[in-house]
Amino acid sequence: MSGRGSYLVAKVGWALLTLALVITFNFVLFRILPGDPARSVAHDPRVSPATVAALTARFGLDKPLFLNLEGGDPFDSQFVAYVGRLAAGDLGVSYNFRDRPVAEMLGIGLVNTLWLVVPAQVLAILIGVAAGLVAAWRRGTPLDAGALTFGLVLWAVPTFFMGIILLFLGSAWFDLPTAGKGTIGAEYASIWEELGDLVRHLFLPTLTFTLVLLGEYLLIMRSSVIEVFSEDYILTAKAKGLSTFRIIRDHALRNAMLPMVTLIAINLGFIVSGAIQIESVFSWPGLGELTVNAVRKRDYPVLQGAFLMLAIAVVLANLAAELLYGWLDPRVREA
Amino acid sequence: MTAVVQATAPIVTGMVQSGFLVRLVRRPMGAIGLGMLVIAVVVAVLAPVLAPYDPDANVHVGIEDVYQTPSAAHLLGTDDGGNDVLSALIFGARVSLVVGFAASLMTILIGGTIGLVAGYRGGWLSTVLMRFTDFVLVIPDLALQIVIVAILGPSLLNIILVIGGLGWTSTARLVRSQTLSVRERMFVTRARAIGAGDLHIVWRHVLPQILPLMLATMVLAVSLAILAESSLAFIGLGDPTVISWGQMLNFAFSLGAVSAGAWWALLPPGFAIVWVVLGTTLLGTALEDVLNPRLKRHHLERDRSVRVAEPEGMGWLRVEPVRADAPLLRVRGLTVEFDSPAGPLRAVHDASFELRRGETLGLVGESACGKTTTVLGLLRLLPPGGRVTAGQVLFDGEDLMALPERDLRAVRGKRLAIVFQGAMNALNPVRRVGDQVAEVIRIHEPEVGARVADRRARVLLERVGIGGGRYADYPHQYSGGMRQRAMIAMALACRPDVIVADEPTTALDVMIQAQILELLAGLAREFGMATILVTHDLGVVAQVCDRVVVMYGGRVVEDAPTLRLFADPQHPYTRLLLASFPDLLHPERPLQSIPGSPPRLDAMPPGCPFAPRCPAAFDRCSTVKPPAYDLGDGRRAACLLVEPGHRAPEPIHA
Repeated sequence: MSGRGSYLVAKVGWALLTLALVITFNFVLFRILPGDPARSVAHDPRVSPATVAALTARFGLDKPLFLNLEGGDPFDSQFVAYVGRLAAGDLGVSYNFRDRPVAEMLGIGLVNTLWLVVPAQVLAILIGVAAGLVAAWRRGTPLDAGALTFGLVLWAVPTFFMGIILLFLGSAWFDLPTAGKGTIGAEYASIWEELGDLVRHLFLPTLTFTLVLLGEYLLIMRSSVIEVFSEDYILTAKAKGLSTFRIIRDHALRNAMLPMVTLIAINLGFIVSGAIQIESVFSWPGLGELTVNAVRKRDYPVLQGAFLMLAIAVVLANLAAELLYGWLDPRVREA
Repeated sequence: MTAVVQATAPIVTGMVQSGFLVRLVRRPMGAIGLGMLVIAVVVAVLAPVLAPYDPDANVHVGIEDVYQTPSAAHLLGTDDGGNDVLSALIFGARVSLVVGFAASLMTILIGGTIGLVAGYRGGWLSTVLMRFTDFVLVIPDLALQIVIVAILGPSLLNIILVIGGLGWTSTARLVRSQTLSVRERMFVTRARAIGAGDLHIVWRHVLPQILPLMLATMVLAVSLAILAESSLAFIGLGDPTVISWGQMLNFAFSLGAVSAGAWWALLPPGFAIVWVVLGTTLLGTALEDVLNPRLKRHHLERDRSVRVAEPEGMGWLRVEPVRADAPLLRVRGLTVEFDSPAGPLRAVHDASFELRRGETLGLVGESACGKTTTVLGLLRLLPPGGRVTAGQVLFDGEDLMALPERDLRAVRGKRLAIVFQGAMNALNPVRRVGDQVAEVIRIHEPEVGARVADRRARVLLERVGIGGGRYADYPHQYSGGMRQRAMIAMALACRPDVIVADEPTTALDVMIQAQILELLAGLAREFGMATILVTHDLGVVAQVCDRVVVMYGGRVVEDAPTLRLFADPQHPYTRLLLASFPDLLHPERPLQSIPGSPPRLDAMPPGCPFAPRCPAAFDRCSTVKPPAYDLGDGRRAACLLVEPGHRAPEPIHA
């Protein structure tokens, strides 16, 4: 269908444009703000002007910002060089760990963050959708009131505070590990043992994240389902002789999921902020902790790289949600 | 609200509209949220009076003062610096609320302006602004806040600017869509027509309309801003010169409160944040609900119709054993009530009629006379809040009102099918039309298999004039007439004994109306189906119906074979109804409209419901509810004029 094709092109095109804007924004942000290496070294009185000049040349900071308009190659600029380095996967080296490339640190961080985010997101969606559905179905009953209260309270608890409470309870009552990804200095007899240790370490952060996301998913799903349940086509389905189960499965669920998909797409930024807070509470070595440590140590290359990676992840996940929405709802594929 | 719910919603306009604040506080969410927020504000304002210690005077320095357990001197113990937790908590309310309100005010100003301009101006400016909004929306908030605050320095002002400067996106989207809808309304067009300037229109006409919703959004934005401030502070980017709850948590958490077991340094600030955020969320949600009340009920609520064995008042029918020539469908004393804030309202009173095999029955009357409610009640498909409180619906000898849900499902769609009015939303928008037709067959005749069901659905759609190529289309690709045809195909799918068509042609243009009615009548004849046609088009009734049931004020007022009804109407309402309709045989006869309108459910006249509008009414009509009198020849009417012993009715327009 051509409608579907142009929908795809429009969404991918917008995502690419957003990526370009994010990269430009990221470049400008860290150039305007006092973050470049030569300038930060220049404030150090022990460094000679010659060294500063050498560093400036090395980092290409003597070049024009966006376009070289003074003759010669017009693309001989800092921005073009920055984009070129990005394309090659070069995000610079950390100030804090002199020898470590930022890209490598971020790669490890991203994998760890995904370990945390993906299971929590999946769990929260499954539980939130189910609970929201049941609450809406039994609207006005004590069950519904309980689910509503539960959702509202979960929504009101700051992510990091949820982490602190669970950390308190988990370590005191269940002797669960509260920091890091694995037991420090542990020797594992097998891969299963290592995996078991990872799961034990993942338990509290994942639980925290699930609960934090769950509240909002439950609330949105509930109101979305109530809305759908009062639509005419539900009455049609009932008049056709469908059972409540089939009405929900075949007619209500897909329509009710539409606002959920939008919410999840909009919420991706919220998920990043949740990851930052939870990783900070549980010392989980992901992108969030990397970000917070980079702020504390003023490690700008890492901060710039982490921010870029988080923004790109959100743009891509957002694109995935848009495409999913288009697949779920035939109406948006047109026009 | 959806079409069917709207069509049957009891009209309750006489209720006292109480003030905005009263309606807000009457909602549990509104009252609790407002209360929580008021407490927080009072604590913040009276902080110097309430706090037992001055938070800035750090007099305790000894190691023994750190993390003291709660005591009389320190009700919530002391923190990592030996300071009184309770005092810090009380002063922290100031920071949280200031950041929350200031940032949300910023949010409203930026988002409101962008949304207003984009919504009011439209065009390329709107596109640019909304694309910019989308862009800001995808940038992860906290990550950017961290970067900016880390570089600018963590002062309270910077924190407010960053939170407010990034949090306006959803407000902009909301305000834009509101502005768009306000702009379309009459008074804006009118104001523009008389030459009012844009700024004037926005200020005087648009802004007042969207301001209440902006207020609700702002209240919700307060909670988001407080959460954002606390997470920034927890990460170590709080203003070091003031105490905030997030900061208290940051210090306690990073300085050993967990290992010291000092729960008192961690839990109170955390729960303080929960308190304020929960309060604002509840208040904001209640505000939205007051401004924009959502539908409270839905179609899948538990069926609360009472299973009555005996009708309350049976009118003219007697209980008879099922005979070979017994009517296919006998409705006896059907009574339907709707919930309302003022108590149950009776929408259908004691309705009785019969339908024979292959017969076409017209159900006529003005709007709001209970026609739709009656037919929905037959299959217990009443909209949310409605229920059958008395009566029987004998279908082939079985009482549908007493049938368990599972058995009733086997009747719905299979033996008794309904075509709803307004097919616009009656088809599921995300499923293919053909598939929705085939579904009926798959449900009721699972033995035929999916492929046969598909083929039969294709044939059915072709029978109603929808070519095979449109089988896989979605409802939005169909025109209104095609959707109505698809609904008919769906109703025909299992060759039901009875098909109920509830004003199947309203909202369609006249040509298509005629086509659809012809189609329906033809197919009914061909398939040998009995039909109940709900309509207010008497021309259609005269053409296709064998019998006519006239309803008024939720009651059956006359029931007669079509020819007799048209030739000799007995009820004054029927007469006026006929007189209000163009008569092709007597085009010279002037058309008359019936003055007034049908009674509201909450203001039913004590006597005959038609008495206030009836030109032939006499004194007893306003006190006595006339039962249906059997007039012989299969006719009956509920009017005191035909009461046995009453003098012959005089012609009403002499």
